[in-house]
Amino acid sequence: MQSYFDRHTELHDSVFDNFISQEVNVGSCQMLPENHDFVPRLSVLKRNLIGEGSHRHVSTMIKFQSQQSESLSQILSSCDLIVIERLPTGVFADPFELQRLVQRRVFNEVDVFGDTNLELPSFLSNRSAVEIHPAVDPNKLLEPTDMKIELPLHARYQPLNESGYSMVELGTPDMLLRCSAKEKSKNQSCFFKLTNNNADVTYESDVLWRIPSGKKAHSDLVFAITFSAALLSTLVIVLSSLEYSKSRASKDSKQS
Amino acid sequence: MRSLEFTSLLLFSAIFRVILIIYGEWQDAHMEVNYTDVDYLVFSDAASLMASGDSPYKRTTYRYSPLLAFLLIPNSLIHRSWGKFIFSASDLLVGYFIHFILQQRKVPKKLSNYCVMTWLFNPFTFTIGTRGNCEPVVCAMILWIIICLMKGNVLQSAFWYGLIVHFRIYPIIYAIPMVLILDPDFFPSDQKPILKNWTAAQAERLHDGNYLYTLHNLFKCIFTRNRLIFGLVSAVVFFLFTGLSYYLYGWEFLHEALLYHLTRTDPRHNFSIYFYHIYLHYGYDISVMEKLISFLPQFMVQLVLIFYFAKDLPFCLFAQTVAFVAFNKVITAQYFVWFFCLLPLILPWSKMKLKWNGMLCILSWIGAQIHWLMWGYLLEFKGKNVFFELWVASLVFHAANVNVLTMVIRHHRFSSFFLGLKDAKSKNVAKHE
Repeated sequence: MQSYFDRHTELHDSVFDNFISQEVNVGSCQMLPENHDFVPRLSVLKRNLIGEGSHRHVSTMIKFQSQQSESLSQILSSCDLIVIERLPTGVFADPFELQRLVQRRVFNEVDVFGDTNLELPSFLSNRSAVEIHPAVDPNKLLEPTDMKIELPLHARYQPLNESGYSMVELGTPDMLLRCSAKEKSKNQSCFFKLTNNNADVTYESDVLWRIPSGKKAHSDLVFAITFSAALLSTLVIVLSSLEYSKSRASKDSKQS
Repeated sequence: MRSLEFTSLLLFSAIFRVILIIYGEWQDAHMEVNYTDVDYLVFSDAASLMASGDSPYKRTTYRYSPLLAFLLIPNSLIHRSWGKFIFSASDLLVGYFIHFILQQRKVPKKLSNYCVMTWLFNPFTFTIGTRGNCEPVVCAMILWIIICLMKGNVLQSAFWYGLIVHFRIYPIIYAIPMVLILDPDFFPSDQKPILKNWTAAQAERLHDGNYLYTLHNLFKCIFTRNRLIFGLVSAVVFFLFTGLSYYLYGWEFLHEALLYHLTRTDPRHNFSIYFYHIYLHYGYDISVMEKLISFLPQFMVQLVLIFYFAKDLPFCLFAQTVAFVAFNKVITAQYFVWFFCLLPLILPWSKMKLKWNGMLCILSWIGAQIHWLMWGYLLEFKGKNVFFELWVASLVFHAANVNVLTMVIRHHRFSSFFLGLKDAKSKNVAKHE
C-alpha cells in the first residue's frame, strides 16, 4: 500500500483497482510454469459488523481453497495473507490501537494509509486504507483453510442529516496471497489476488454502519439557547458577586 | 502530635497511589479497557521520539510543551510508569503545599487536615495522577507560586508563573489578580508581606469598599517595583521557554502546543454547552459577531470576579478557575483538577456546612455529571442519536457549576490574603495597648 500512496494522494476505488491488477500482474510468478492455473479462490466470504455504537469491529470470515496440483506445492513454500480494507470517510482505524494488536500477536503487521486523523469529522476527512497481515501459519495457506480477521474501527462525526443517522457502507476487502519460492536461490515472491467468483459470498448482516449525526433542524434553537444560557449564567454570577459585596458593606455599617 | 497526623495522611495517600499505579499496570495487561489514560500513551510516545532526537510533535495529538516530553524521557529508559510516579508525586506535593499554606495562615490543625483530605482523598485527584495525566504538575506549580508570594519572593513567583503559562496556557487568567496582590500596601519595599491569619470570627470589615480601593490603587501605582518585576520576569521566562521550543521544533510546536489551545473548537461531544452548536456549524465560517458572543460571557465573568475578590487571592483564583472551566468551549474531566487543588485553600473560610448545603452542592454537581455521562454512553456506545438530550445535559451541568460557584460565593467569609500596612500598624498598636 505504501507504493500506492507514494504515487497517489487520495484513495479512489477505480484507481486502486487498476493499481492492484498491475501489481498482481507484475508479481506474476516467474517460478511457476507459464500456463499454471493456480488461482486461489474463496469459497466462503462472510462479512459482519460486530458491536454497537461508535466503536465496532468488522469481521471477515473466509474459506478458501486453491485447486493447485501437487507440483505447485513443491515450488511454493509458504504464503502470507494480505488483507486490504479500503475504508470510507465515515470511519477510521486507530494506528496506535492496531500497533497494540501487533504486540499481542493478533496481526503480524498492520499499517494505516491515507487520512489517519483521529479527530476531524468525516466531511473534513479523506479516505484511508488498512493493510493487514494476519498472524497465520504461512504453511497452512496452501491448503484449504478458513480464517477470521477482526479489525477494530471507529466512527467519525458525520455530516448533518435530517433523519439523525448516516449510513456508512463498508465494501469487500481486497485479499492477496504473497507466496515465496521453496528454492532459496530464487529470491522472489508472487502476488495472487483471491477472487470470489463462484464463491458462496454471504454477508451475515449488513455491513452498513448506522452512525448518529446532528440534525440541521436543531441549529437555530441550539444557537439561541446556548448563548442565552451563557448570558444568563453570566448575569447570575455578576449579581451574586454584587449582592455579596453589598451585604458585606451593610454588615459593616451595622457593626460600626 | 498533630503534624504526625498529617504525615500519616500523606504516607497513606502515597502508599495508596503506588498500589493504584501497580493495579493500573495489571489492568492494562489483562483487561480490554485500559486504566491508563490515552494521553499518557501520547506523552510516552512523544518522549521516546524526543529521546531518539526526533520532534515530539511527530506524535499526533501531542499538544503540550516539549518540557513534558522531556520530563518523561525516562519512560523509555527506566520504566514506562516513570511518568505516573512523577505525576503522583506532584499530586502528593500539592497536598503538602496545601497543608503548608493553611498552617502558615494559622488554620486550626483539625480543620486543616480535613481540608487536605478533600484533595488527597478526592477520587478525581488520585485517579488523575495514577492514570498518567499531567495536571497534578500544573497544580503543584500554581500552589508553589502562591507560596512564593506568601514569602515575598516576587522574583521566584514570576519565574514559575512564566513557566506555567508556557506549559499550560490557562493560568494566564491569574495574571491580573497576581499583579493586583502585589499592592505596595501589602508589599512595602524590602519587607516581607504579612499574611492575614484565619480567625473564627465573621467576615472582616470593609474599608472604603475593597474593590474601589483596588481600582484606584491600580491606576495610581501600576508601575510599582514589584509589579514591574513580576510582569517583566514572567514575560521573559514565558518567551524564553516558548522561543527555545520554537527554535527546536519550529512551527509544529507553535501550532500544536499554543495555537491549538487558543483556537480549539472540538465538535465532538464533551461537557461544554457549546459542543452541539460547534458541531452543527462545523466547517462553516464563524462570524465576528458569533466569536464575540462566545467570548464575552467568559471575559465578563473573569473581570467581575477579579474586581470583587482579588484581595482574597486564593478565593479569587478558585472562583476564576471554576468559571473558566464552566464557560470554556471544551470541557474534559481533567480540567476539574484545576479548581480542586484550590478548593482546600478556601474551605476554612466557608460558612457552608456539609449538612445540607455542602452535600447539596456536591450531589448536584456529581449528579449532573452522571446524567451527562449516561447520555454520552448512549451516544457513543449504543449508537443512539441523543445529541439533543446530551446537549441539554451539558446545560444542566453548566447550571450545576454556576450554582456551586454562587453558593460558594454566598457562603464565603471574605478574608484579605495579606495585611495592609495600616492594618498591620493598627494591630501592633492594639497589641501594645
